[in-house]
Amino acid sequence: MPNIDDEHLLQRLLGIFRIEAAEHLKAMAGLLSTLEAPAAASDIPALIEALFREAHSLKGAARSVNLSQIEAVCKGLEDELSGLKRRPPASLPPAWFKAIYRSLDTLDTLLADSPGEPTPTPTPPPAAAPSPAAKPEKAPPPPSASGDTVRISSSRLAALLVEAEALLAFKFGTSHVADELHAVADEVARRRKAMARAAREARALRRRHGRRAAGDAGARTASTIEKLLDIVDHDDPLLKTLGDRLSALAQRAERESRALAGSVDTLQAELRIALMLPFASLLEVMPKLVRDLARDSGKDIELRIDGAELEIDRRILEQLKDPLIHLVRNAVDHGIESPAERHRAGKASRGRIAIDIQPLEGSRVELLVADDGAGIDPAQIANSAAKLGLIAPEEVATVSHQAALSLMFASGLSTSPILTNLSGRGLGLAIVREKVEKLSGSIVAELPDGGGTRFRIVLPSMLATFRGVLVGVGEQQFVLPSRNVERVQRVAVDSIKTVENREAIEIDGLAVALVRLADVLGLPADTADDGRLPLVVLSAAGQRIAFAVDAVLGDQEVLVKGLGPQLRRVANFSGATVLGSGRLVPIIDVADLMKSAPRAAAKSSTPSAPPPRQHSLLVVEDSITARILLKSILESAGYRVDTAVDGIDALTALRTGAYDLVVSDVEMPRMDGFSLTESIRQDKKLADTPVILVTALESREDRERGVEAGANAYIVKSSFDQSDLFEAIRRLI
Amino acid sequence: MTRPDPIDWDAVKQRIEAAGQRLEEEFAPPADKRRALLEARARALAVAPAPAPGAGFDALEFTLAREHYAIDTVWVREVYPLREFTQLPGTPAFVLGIVHVRGRVVSVLDLKRFFDMPQIGLSDLNKVIVLSNGTMEFGILADTIVGVRRLLHAEVQEALPTLTGIRADYLLGITSRREVVLDAHKLLSDPAIVVCADVGD
Repeated sequence: MPNIDDEHLLQRLLGIFRIEAAEHLKAMAGLLSTLEAPAAASDIPALIEALFREAHSLKGAARSVNLSQIEAVCKGLEDELSGLKRRPPASLPPAWFKAIYRSLDTLDTLLADSPGEPTPTPTPPPAAAPSPAAKPEKAPPPPSASGDTVRISSSRLAALLVEAEALLAFKFGTSHVADELHAVADEVARRRKAMARAAREARALRRRHGRRAAGDAGARTASTIEKLLDIVDHDDPLLKTLGDRLSALAQRAERESRALAGSVDTLQAELRIALMLPFASLLEVMPKLVRDLARDSGKDIELRIDGAELEIDRRILEQLKDPLIHLVRNAVDHGIESPAERHRAGKASRGRIAIDIQPLEGSRVELLVADDGAGIDPAQIANSAAKLGLIAPEEVATVSHQAALSLMFASGLSTSPILTNLSGRGLGLAIVREKVEKLSGSIVAELPDGGGTRFRIVLPSMLATFRGVLVGVGEQQFVLPSRNVERVQRVAVDSIKTVENREAIEIDGLAVALVRLADVLGLPADTADDGRLPLVVLSAAGQRIAFAVDAVLGDQEVLVKGLGPQLRRVANFSGATVLGSGRLVPIIDVADLMKSAPRAAAKSSTPSAPPPRQHSLLVVEDSITARILLKSILESAGYRVDTAVDGIDALTALRTGAYDLVVSDVEMPRMDGFSLTESIRQDKKLADTPVILVTALESREDRERGVEAGANAYIVKSSFDQSDLFEAIRRLI
Repeated sequence: MTRPDPIDWDAVKQRIEAAGQRLEEEFAPPADKRRALLEARARALAVAPAPAPGAGFDALEFTLAREHYAIDTVWVREVYPLREFTQLPGTPAFVLGIVHVRGRVVSVLDLKRFFDMPQIGLSDLNKVIVLSNGTMEFGILADTIVGVRRLLHAEVQEALPTLTGIRADYLLGITSRREVVLDAHKLLSDPAIVVCADVGD
């Protein structure tokens, strides 16, 4: 056995160190960029002191986990800074900044290579977030200045959120219970009405009978009617009490469910606020990024950030990092021209990139990333798009500027070699849009009057539960995020057209590709057909596809849960949610689905015709895995299969449906397979139904008992082979 | 009655003195002796303890396809009966589906399929053993749970690869009662068990 305690401890310590180190590095980068600002001269001693402290702390932390290289680099920084601390200079030369930044880069690299499991992007708590270079002249006091802030580890905060979100399931669950109680109360009221009708009939009978009653037989009938009336009269008050109690209970459940919903919503809202972080914590890496990129490409660029103090859910912020870095990188690489070009165009040689954040109404935030570069030529985009077949050649001349700009986000545009000055933009932009849309946001490109390029991103400032459309495909259910659902409708099967071997449907005068969700997900297609097909039209990344489902079951609030660490990434699914009934339902990843759809459409052009008359089987098995396995084996052999979980359940199914054969387990709760077989044999209508027992009991006595009970075949589980089962079924029906 | 021998008081005194000195040395040895003693003790403590003859671990025993298995309970988070689960289309065959346990989504795996063991027979597979190492977590299917018993390290012998369908590197060994002892630590840290679909464009 490995010594897990030591291993765990070391992993944990390294994990903590990495978070701590990243915080120190971020703080140092923030301090350095403040130090670089011209207005900082009087603050130099204080800033140097702060830098020194950061380097010193990092050194100590590195030593405690034996990372000697990091320790050595920190020591160097510390020495350099302590010299300056003793004799603070009036200003610092650019060469000095270069050297310090180089040390930070080294630390970055060492940190990335350090052992220990990768921790999620560490984001410092608001208190530790230094104000970035946004407005150094104002130097707003950092939030830590207020004395009542506490630091709490992000993992603990995340754990709290998980607990609060778990409560949400109870909120949905209790409202489901209240609904059920109301339904039962209604059912009892209906039964009472039916009983009252029966009582009226019985009284009428007594009146009629009373007139012509004579002899012994007449007296017997009269007494039977009296007994019947007694029972009815006795039951009525009982039913009334039961109904009243149920109604009261339903009302109480409803009240408490509402109260619970209120508390849970408040708790959730408070926690969401606690999870907010200023944009600054994401943007503080930008000054260094822009400086490094500008240096590498020989450009002179100034970065201006406004509104960095605005707060947003940290989980959104974490997801926003890559898209934002991508946009800024694009602006440096492709947006801003070289100083020489700018000079020729009569612009200042120093380019400008501006990041602006402002709140919008409805808990939304707008993020603008603008550069004052050469901008983009919409006509050129339209041409390239036409060459890629994204638009028709005749559309090039008529396509609007805005429409052309939105084509930039189409995946694959940049792969065209024709677009040299846009290279690298297209594919990346497709990914940027995908990420922003995953956060329920939107992104557009604009060409401002003043020149340059501007990207406008609108995001929700809080992650919330979202609304989803619940659909059924066969026996499975799935949730489609409502934000991607353009519409839900039923169409006549004969209105489906086939265009180049693919199915399509006309919606608002436009042909929209039609794909069966079952085919995309690789599920068996439902053969039931009532001439009308429920459709859900989904749109994502500018694409629109109609998905045929078996049923649209409703629209409801859902809470997204991950699929667990073992299922890191599953095609077509982004997570799962728990319905009020407690059922776990996968949530569809619409972006994936759109990519999978064309492949499925090509395959499904020839649906296999179901056999004209299918035999209908009932599988009775208490183990869910065995039940599903038997069902899928038999279904793939062409049988129609229903299932039951025990003997009682099976008898109910047999009496309400029509089955050609029963395949049953023996050991089951409530009623076992032997008793089920006996009950079938004793039932006049069911007596001739063949029964195959599939059992773990393999002794001769058990086998004899099965035959005695009236089973037609006996298959032992330990040597189970599906061909034996098929053979037995073929022999019997 | 014979007179007892006269007591040699000098000898007694000497012996007491010698004993006293030895005691003193034992409790407060001179600096160099103490150092040597402490070093020897430190060395003895620093050596990883060889599994003592009586050392062992608590093992959860279960059956799967009529074979008996055991797994160190350190890695077992909980055990519960599988009543319902949700299938995820498109996942590898060894992923049975997902279940909802106390607010978390847990994936349930079929080890028989993960190890490509022959699919003979039909078994219940309706118990789930949730394994976890803090970061990785999943459930494995079992037919029946036998119970927990103490297994001695000495009882676990190296398994012959031919004895079971499971590759030897996932095994800690096999007991004299022919229980196959799975290496849960290895399973939990195996990258091959993680589903990370590549969704192309």
